Amino acid sequence: VLPAGFGNLMQDVLWCFSQVKGTIDIGVTEADIISTVEFNHTGELLATGDKGGRVVIFQREQESKQQPQRRGEYNVYSTFQSHEPEFDYLKSLEIEEKINKIRWLPQHNAAYFLLSTNDKTVKLWKVSERDKRPEGYNLKDEDGRLRDPSMITTLRVPVLRPMDLMVEATPRRVFANAHTYHINSISVNSDYETYMSADDLRINLWNFEITNQSFNIVDIKPANMEELTEVITAAEFHPHHCNTFVYSSSKGTIRLCDMRASALCDRHAKFFEEPEDPSNRSFFSEIISSISDVKFSHSGRFVMTRDYLTVKVWDLNMENRPMETYQVHDYLRSKLCSLYENDCIFDKFECVWNGSDSVIMTGSYNNFFRMFDRNTKRDVTLEASRENSKPRAILKPRKVCVGGKRRKDEISVDSLDFSKKILHTAWHPSENIIAVAATNNLYIFQDKVN
Amino acid sequence: MLGKGGKRKFDEHEDGLEGKVVSPTDGPSKVSYTLQRQTIFNISLMKLYNHRPLTEPSLQKTVLINNMLRRIQEELKQEGSLRPVFVTAAQPADPLGDSFREAQPAFSHLAAQPLLPAELVSTTPLEACLTPASLLEDDAFCTSQTVQHDGPTKLPPPALQPVKDSFSSALDEIEELCPAPTSAEAVAAAADAAADDAKDHPSESGVQRPEGVPESRAAEPKLMDSLPGNFEITTSTGFLTDLTLDDILFADIDTSMYDFDPCTSATGAASKMAPVSADELLKTLAPYSSQPVTPNQPFKMDLTELDHIMEVLVGS
Repeated sequence: VLPAGFGNLMQDVLWCFSQVKGTIDIGVTEADIISTVEFNHTGELLATGDKGGRVVIFQREQESKQQPQRRGEYNVYSTFQSHEPEFDYLKSLEIEEKINKIRWLPQHNAAYFLLSTNDKTVKLWKVSERDKRPEGYNLKDEDGRLRDPSMITTLRVPVLRPMDLMVEATPRRVFANAHTYHINSISVNSDYETYMSADDLRINLWNFEITNQSFNIVDIKPANMEELTEVITAAEFHPHHCNTFVYSSSKGTIRLCDMRASALCDRHAKFFEEPEDPSNRSFFSEIISSISDVKFSHSGRFVMTRDYLTVKVWDLNMENRPMETYQVHDYLRSKLCSLYENDCIFDKFECVWNGSDSVIMTGSYNNFFRMFDRNTKRDVTLEASRENSKPRAILKPRKVCVGGKRRKDEISVDSLDFSKKILHTAWHPSENIIAVAATNNLYIFQDKVN
Repeated sequence: MLGKGGKRKFDEHEDGLEGKVVSPTDGPSKVSYTLQRQTIFNISLMKLYNHRPLTEPSLQKTVLINNMLRRIQEELKQEGSLRPVFVTAAQPADPLGDSFREAQPAFSHLAAQPLLPAELVSTTPLEACLTPASLLEDDAFCTSQTVQHDGPTKLPPPALQPVKDSFSSALDEIEELCPAPTSAEAVAAAADAAADDAKDHPSESGVQRPEGVPESRAAEPKLMDSLPGNFEITTSTGFLTDLTLDDILFADIDTSMYDFDPCTSATGAASKMAPVSADELLKTLAPYSSQPVTPNQPFKMDLTELDHIMEVLVGS
């Protein structure tokens, strides 16, 4: 297995199907729709959250000499109900249990910790293993009833005996009642003591130990809600500088803030916005400029943003325009009115970096996902489908035909299935392993083993 | 999820298309632009009021749709303010263009010469203009149109009619109904009329969601009511705050039209109002009442009944 830091050039990597999780039923249960995917910092664990409020964690099995081609498959490690649906009695509205985001904490001991959030409440979960059980108590009967103390004449120390491995998930902290609007992002700070949660109008800073208080660090709510024209769409801490974070907006802007400057970071340190291209202006210019995801590179030097049609890479030192712009599915530009009508224009696609920041990936429609190599400027479109699901089958690049003659393997824009959207993907921190969520199925692809 | 992305057939909307009146002097591009703008406006309004009632709507989506509506409304306002100048016709293009450029609405470069369609060079066939939302997609519409100015050599035809779509006629009706356009119910009535026109309009049927017609019909009086006076969406509180049924039922009604003159009480218990104003009144009352009101029935005010109610309220 090549370490992902070197030579991750597109032409060298052939992506193969590895696994798929989830049912093949024609009718998808809404609760099973995957709403977030995240590897932990070592890549040993892969967590998914779904619309039903459940979290499923997969663990990579140890690679075995006997079956080198299996390359460490991911198997279910733990499943738990993270959030339940709630009812806001004041507004007479339901609060969805859908898991919007999962973020892992770095590991300090044998247990794993992750943050999961729905629209209103963030929870810290501890996932730990239990493979021993104390036995030999003489204070209780066989059926657990306490024995009469006067009948006990000796003190026996219980002995730990092995048992079948049990993985427990327990909620250790619940951070509630801090968000009036819907939480769209959570981000763990590099100090590992604090994290932030962002909703449409505010960003709060939490200490992991304190659940009844949070600091509000960004507030863009206008005094008069009728004047509201812009909302926060995503936020993330800098990977190394614990005082720095960015947040994106529905107008296509990114603000970088320094928490050392003031307690309330309403004034940005840097403001990133690309001037509008007049030749591309349309009714939908603002909507397609709305940023759906923002991600720092692992190096911390760049920020990647995803809007409806493009992925952009920004240099933190250059505010007036992005360094690189990649077209994800520009053929949709002439379909924006339909996509506005059926709400697809509001789909929030995420984007991810690979471990070496050389390749970026994002999803599209028809269960397509796209990868862009920043060095070679080559890109590829792949598909997550059951048809390509033979073990270790190499994924064939897909192509959308824009007009005119359609070649044999191409698919025309009008044949795209807009209900099959890949919004959530994840890339292993150091290897060429990717997880792609296609509605209720999770696909895992790996690069080809020679 | 269901129904999204499904291809809609052109056949479904063909019946509604014939009803559209297109002035023969209109260039296809101008009509298409106006058509698309109106379509998007209608779609946007439907979106704001047809969301799933169980959970809170996405604030981001609401804000984006609201911004869209504001932009379109700004454009309409600017175009509306220029129409009287245009009707006198045979005017050179430049003054209008200048005033447009000064105003600089959001899509000014698209609307640069909207009232002079003869100048627009477009090869788009007329059929392409009469299309529902999905088929409006064309690079010419959704992206910026490079409006070609042929310059002073091409003068507009002398008897050029202003573009008449149901929106313009709605605005005209507002002006006819009530000289002070601030009265909410006049706008509601005109908008209601526009909605009626729009119902025949293909885009209206095109944008109906799979949930079916009744829901959208029920939504119409609701959304029309929330349009306040002056058609100023920017001053509306309806988009960004929760709009409940209470807001509509207990919305202030301008009672100036049926305030009765004490002098007429001498004629008897029933004071009849002039038929013209009664019809108008009924039209304005239509959104608020759940019962159908027949326009032919004269409106009766029973003074003794009112006295009785007052007694009950005062608690005598």
